[in-house]
Amino acid sequence: MIDIRSIRKVFNQGRPNEFTAIDGVDLTVQLGDVTVLKGPSGSGKTTLLTILGCMARPTSGRIFLLDREITSLPERFLTEIRRQTFGFIFQRLNLIKGISALENVMAPAYPAGEKFSSLRKRAMELLDMFSLTHRAAARIEWLSGGEAQRVAIARALVNNPSVIIADEPTAHLDTRLSREFMEIMKKLKEDGKTIIIASHDPIVFDSDLADAIVEMRDGKLVRVGATR
Amino acid sequence: MILHPGILALLLSSLLISGMVLYSATCGIGILRGWDINSGSERQLFLERKTYLISTILGYFLAFQLISLFLFVYTADSICPLFVGAMCAVGTLSLNAYGYPVLFCKTANFILAGLWLILNHVDSRGYDYPLLKTKYRLLLLLAPFVLGEAVLQAFYFLSLTPNVITSCCGSLFGAGTTSLASEMATLPAFPMMAVFYSVTALTVVCGILFYRTGKAGLLFAGLSGTTFIVAIISVISFISLYFYELPTHHCPFCILQQGYGYVGYPLYILLLVGTVSGLGAGLLTPFRKIPSLAAKLPPLQKNLTLSSVISFIIFTAISSWPIIFSSFTLEG
Repeated sequence: MIDIRSIRKVFNQGRPNEFTAIDGVDLTVQLGDVTVLKGPSGSGKTTLLTILGCMARPTSGRIFLLDREITSLPERFLTEIRRQTFGFIFQRLNLIKGISALENVMAPAYPAGEKFSSLRKRAMELLDMFSLTHRAAARIEWLSGGEAQRVAIARALVNNPSVIIADEPTAHLDTRLSREFMEIMKKLKEDGKTIIIASHDPIVFDSDLADAIVEMRDGKLVRVGATR
Repeated sequence: MILHPGILALLLSSLLISGMVLYSATCGIGILRGWDINSGSERQLFLERKTYLISTILGYFLAFQLISLFLFVYTADSICPLFVGAMCAVGTLSLNAYGYPVLFCKTANFILAGLWLILNHVDSRGYDYPLLKTKYRLLLLLAPFVLGEAVLQAFYFLSLTPNVITSCCGSLFGAGTTSLASEMATLPAFPMMAVFYSVTALTVVCGILFYRTGKAGLLFAGLSGTTFIVAIISVISFISLYFYELPTHHCPFCILQQGYGYVGYPLYILLLVGTVSGLGAGLLTPFRKIPSLAAKLPPLQKNLTLSSVISFIIFTAISSWPIIFSSFTLEG
């Protein structure tokens, strides 16, 4: 269970351009569930995701991951948790151009110092899982939109995280690719992964896959509801 | 004031270090008063970010504080030709009333800063800031010493006047005066040798025992501190004599000069590293009970103990080298 308590995030605090992106959010995410954060642009979905995924620290409030408080952790511990627990799929994919699909998938695992051969083997297995074995050596800029998206998902899975965080993953995809993405998420859920998706795409939040829909507006939770 | 690169570096660095230490100590007071790890308040999260930043920056400043002791001695030694009567750092330090207080302050700060760096390193290994309050209390203890050192050092360098005739080490560490240095120099060599080798052997044995069993940590810390004092007295009493091959030359500074292969630098560095590591290893023992450090502290203590024991052994080996192999003898 991921428990978020009274989270606030203020940017440029104390300056004329101060902006409160998250304002006192309390939320519980059940492990193994698919939770969708829904809301218009600027509602605080991405900020909440980055705080949840330990990529940013809140201004106030605490987050508990499996009853362990993680917001107070010094950076070295937070990095470890971020690496081991969370896999990120970004809106613009953020794949590294100029290197191959395989190298992109392997990149997040390099700091762990794993043996190269075993890491490469695991990355190849992930690419195989997404039917991309034949594209392993291809540079990112040579891949189609769908292939690039699957590489991004494979990269998110390389450290075998228990939680997948996806920020507007279908924003730049057509309907077919969006549905394909949701199919992949369904498979990951069946594998026991916890999935948190921020999206204002009906394909995502109207999907049968979502266990909980969290509606946000102006940095606050408007509605939290189970879909079933 | 004499415009020497070493003096300028020391003045500038002590200004920066004392400024940073003063700022950190002030923040430390706020952290000691307002810290509540169980709170998710804005203030608590601000303090968490602040302590991380302060500790990281202060670590670099205090690392330079360690180096500054040797830069100070080197500078004092290198400017001695400018003063009539000075043959080494002793003459330069005797030029005014601030020289030796600065040296003692720098030595004390080396040990305190070293211990703070060890505490900070250990604290950063725990996920819940386990030594945070201890670390800032030590910083509050260190701050007046660092500030005092900066003021004394400034007075010392600003009061240097080349027209003052100073004393050489021969007169300060000679048998004719009644100073503490003179009394240390006139201690009987052979009983002092027995004390030095006994205390060092005891410290090394205790260190090995602590390394293997994890017991007697505080005793090892106490012995490390004792070894430091005994070793300094021994350098003045008899070790220096063998390096100089002169029965009356007890100066602990001339061994820092080129003529003696700068042997004083490795000797003092080893002695200080051994002392700080030994003190740190032992004094950390009570913190083993903290759950977040229970698994991480024993290996860290082992590394510190090993570093201390090896440093003391090499220090003893270098000190003993001329005693064993030179033709110089104090017998007869």
